[in-house]
Amino acid sequence: GEVSSGRRGRPRPPALMSGTLESLSGPGFSDDVSSLGSDSEINGLAYRRTDKYGFLGGPGTGWLTGVGNGPQGLSPLGGTSSHLFPFPADPHSQAPAGSECVGSQPRSVQGPAWQPQQRGRELWPGSAWSRDLSGSPRPSLSCACRSLPAQPRVGAMPATRLGPQQDLYRILKAYTIYRPDEGYCQAQAPVAAVLLMHMPAEQAFWCLVQICEKYLPGYYSAGLEAIQLDGEIFFALLRRASPMAYRHLKKYKIDPILYMTEWFMCIFSRTLPWASVLRVWDMFFCEGVKIVFRVGLVLLRNTLGSVDKLRSCQGMYETMEKLRNLPAQSMQEDFLILEVRRPPCLTRGRCPGAVVSEGLHPALPSPTGNNTPLGGPKKGGAKKKEKEREKQEKERERLQKEREKQEKERERLQKEREKQEKKEKEKLERKQQKERAKEEAKQKKERKVSMRRKEAKAPPRAEDGGQDGDPPAGSVLQDTYF
Amino acid sequence: MARHMFRIILLGDSTVGKSSLLRRYTEGSFIPAPCPTVGVEFYSKMMELPPGIKVKLQLWDTAGQERFRCITRSFYRNAVGVLLVFDMTNRKSFEHIIEWYHEVASIQIMEKVIFLLIGHKSDLKSDCKISTEEAEGLAASLGIGFIETSAKSNTNVDLAFETLTNTIYEALKNKEIDLQEGWDGVKVIHKRTCNPQKKRRKPQEKCQC
Repeated sequence: GEVSSGRRGRPRPPALMSGTLESLSGPGFSDDVSSLGSDSEINGLAYRRTDKYGFLGGPGTGWLTGVGNGPQGLSPLGGTSSHLFPFPADPHSQAPAGSECVGSQPRSVQGPAWQPQQRGRELWPGSAWSRDLSGSPRPSLSCACRSLPAQPRVGAMPATRLGPQQDLYRILKAYTIYRPDEGYCQAQAPVAAVLLMHMPAEQAFWCLVQICEKYLPGYYSAGLEAIQLDGEIFFALLRRASPMAYRHLKKYKIDPILYMTEWFMCIFSRTLPWASVLRVWDMFFCEGVKIVFRVGLVLLRNTLGSVDKLRSCQGMYETMEKLRNLPAQSMQEDFLILEVRRPPCLTRGRCPGAVVSEGLHPALPSPTGNNTPLGGPKKGGAKKKEKEREKQEKERERLQKEREKQEKERERLQKEREKQEKKEKEKLERKQQKERAKEEAKQKKERKVSMRRKEAKAPPRAEDGGQDGDPPAGSVLQDTYF
Repeated sequence: MARHMFRIILLGDSTVGKSSLLRRYTEGSFIPAPCPTVGVEFYSKMMELPPGIKVKLQLWDTAGQERFRCITRSFYRNAVGVLLVFDMTNRKSFEHIIEWYHEVASIQIMEKVIFLLIGHKSDLKSDCKISTEEAEGLAASLGIGFIETSAKSNTNVDLAFETLTNTIYEALKNKEIDLQEGWDGVKVIHKRTCNPQKKRRKPQEKCQC
């Protein structure tokens, strides 16, 4: 409810609507009909009333909250619910039934929901996209197209289809034109691929722009400083979220860069099962990069966060292997989201009612002996422990300060960039205004002539017709949406 | 008998087939168009050298794209073997081999590194832009070996890794590579040091029951 309120005013792209309607009656859907039962059932579904976000369950059904149980009639993944939204909105992104309905969110609304505030679009009205891409400076994109068909756990795109690959190529190339200073980064391809599965190419492009500039600034830039910095921050946070995992990784000299680069740069699209990817992305678009941090912490906590778990991975190789094949349960949609949604307790100070088990939130000295070494509790270690604790606290404070500094620095950079953007925007607007004024002047002359003719011909508008026509076309379509 | 651990890193331009080569070697599989590597990936395989010596290979796969070098660079230092991979159908990737070579040379002490030049995608004979002679010439000028491989048709993949491992082992035996504290390129684990660990583990398992 609350999260999506900002989207109310946004008109739905008509292409998405029609795409969904088509897909319901499309040829692929008829294959699945047998498993649903009678035809009338489908018709019933197709015309059931939905709320403005495309849900069947009415308001407050967990839209984008990540924890909600999902709207009525939608069990998270599987069952007949997967047939409810047999294809995503974009005809490009047909996926096999079963991967469609994800938790609380039908796939068909994910596309529009993921499109963030598109400031970039105003700044660059379609020019990066619509410009002829053939004559532009060519970045090396030879490997870009590859990431689309091979999305490991997705299986949504057959490799033989050329359409989506070309779209992906176009998006990435357009980005290098839009931001020649940034250029193309290999890790952008999987991100763009996921976007393409939910929306038409142009929207996916603007969405990618937003991710690269607003959500994860600097992640894909030359030098990759932002990702390295976030790697260090992530590791510092891990120290609080799961000291055991932290110590283990430190012991075997496993640099955060080794495991978190792909997680963060691809926003887990190559790590998690598809259903979880979608849920994580939902939250990511709502809350930003902190979700990526949280998911990463949850994964590490549930992979290396207890004595039991560490027993099987003594050694650098074993640990890396385990991080490459994360336990399926920890990546399972519901479990993961629930864990991510837990109060983080990462902030300093006491956390009332925190359950200290399996190293879940052992930011505090654990009364259950979570920090005790493998051999069991030792007497006389209490003083040592206290000293250690003090040390840790100091270390924490230091890290906290460092982080604050870094954040300030980031903010500063962000502000500078925004300033520049504003300037550019103003310039562009001025230009446009001048052009517009010219055009308008021309049109006015023409209009004057044509208006006189029209007025004579057009019939007066009927009053009831006017009422129906008032709401935007989108809302009319919405009732017949499903 | 001592167990050895060699750390080997694969370098080369993007899309030359580093990941495919590794996947073929470690998993025996081949994916026609894999995702580009992001950052660094890690594989491992046990190998037995003819005199019955067990060697564990730690294989590091790197992203070939220029901007990932700042990340991958930090891994050169702790490698004992480097596979310089180029695509036989891609002239540029061949020309960049020298750059990759010097890239490692600038960070690693050269006495410690064993290189092997790999001409990948040898199954695409008709598209080959670099002749075997030319590649061998480059390898000779750098003083390293050269092998043509193909992950797709599984030619010479095992041979490449075996050759590199053998060369490293020989160099180690002849004391051309010296082991140093804090350098992870080569590790020698003597069995005696393994025993206490095993003893310690056993009682824990009992406790769990």
